[in-house]
Amino acid sequence: MNIIETSKRVKHEVEILPVEDYENLGKDRYFFDWGMEHQYEVYTLQIIGSTDILGLLSIEKITSEWRVHIRLLTVARENKGKNKRYGRIAGNLIAHAAKIAVREFGELACVSLRPKSKVARHYIDKYNMRSTGLTLNIEVPEILDLITNYDKQGK
Amino acid sequence: MTSKENKDKIVDPEYGLDSRYRSKKEQKSEATALMEARLKRMKNLSRDQIIRAKLMQLKLRMEEFIKQPVSDSHNYFSDFLKTYVDIIYSKRSKFAHDIDVTPVRLSQVINNHREPKDEFIMRLMIHSEKVYKNICEFQNSTWIQVYFHEKICDTMASQKHWRPMVEKHVKLSESLH
Repeated sequence: MNIIETSKRVKHEVEILPVEDYENLGKDRYFFDWGMEHQYEVYTLQIIGSTDILGLLSIEKITSEWRVHIRLLTVARENKGKNKRYGRIAGNLIAHAAKIAVREFGELACVSLRPKSKVARHYIDKYNMRSTGLTLNIEVPEILDLITNYDKQGK
Repeated sequence: MTSKENKDKIVDPEYGLDSRYRSKKEQKSEATALMEARLKRMKNLSRDQIIRAKLMQLKLRMEEFIKQPVSDSHNYFSDFLKTYVDIIYSKRSKFAHDIDVTPVRLSQVINNHREPKDEFIMRLMIHSEKVYKNICEFQNSTWIQVYFHEKICDTMASQKHWRPMVEKHVKLSESLH
């Protein structure tokens, strides 16, 4: 898995790890107070060899529905908008949620989102999600393509 | 939400995505509708799509096992092998034929009656390369890593059984300062 440094078009290998320390994960840089998510699974994305967190994801596994629901997702403040420093952070985090879902639930796997309607189109277009009511989701076979695409781009 | 936060969201939909359900009631009604839609689509999954998903699942499970710290003693290699064969083949003997081992030898490995030889693991490695080629990324060292990670787990988890006997054969004749 990798991200792209937008100014130089350089790829950087990244790793996604469970959060160990919620200090310094505040609203200023990461939009939410991530400490409130401590009872869920929270993951950070960072360049391998660096401790700087570039994006965060919290998920809830809903085993009875073979589903992983993304609760919160953000890139670090400097990676938003047209002048972002790195690209593909959110995609890697969504692909990570997809891997967890497929690992746990196989052919029944599903990743879901419940975004506000004004941003839903972005997730439908960019990640090939489909909508049911207010919920967006991705499942087999599209979820496998998402994982493969983000793994391949890591090469 | 403050006007500043609102502005941030408009700038980039991947900055500050709040995807939590607003209430338990909303979550429940959304879950029901979603499950109904998914069940309909699941019925239309092809055999190939199901096999592809199961092979991806197996790969992710093996990768997860390799990353885990040394833990309990369990037959992971044979369990993963059994899953792999049963996903792809209707009969295990067909897989045995494809990697040029006898069905008896394959059965012994799957049922933990015999250790796989190096040759067996290498053939399995090449077989997996061919299978995963059009499915997803697959490190060809995965099976070997699973095998040796299990060995480490077994050895470390069973120390109280082997240590008393083994210690009798170990001494330190050079004194270290």
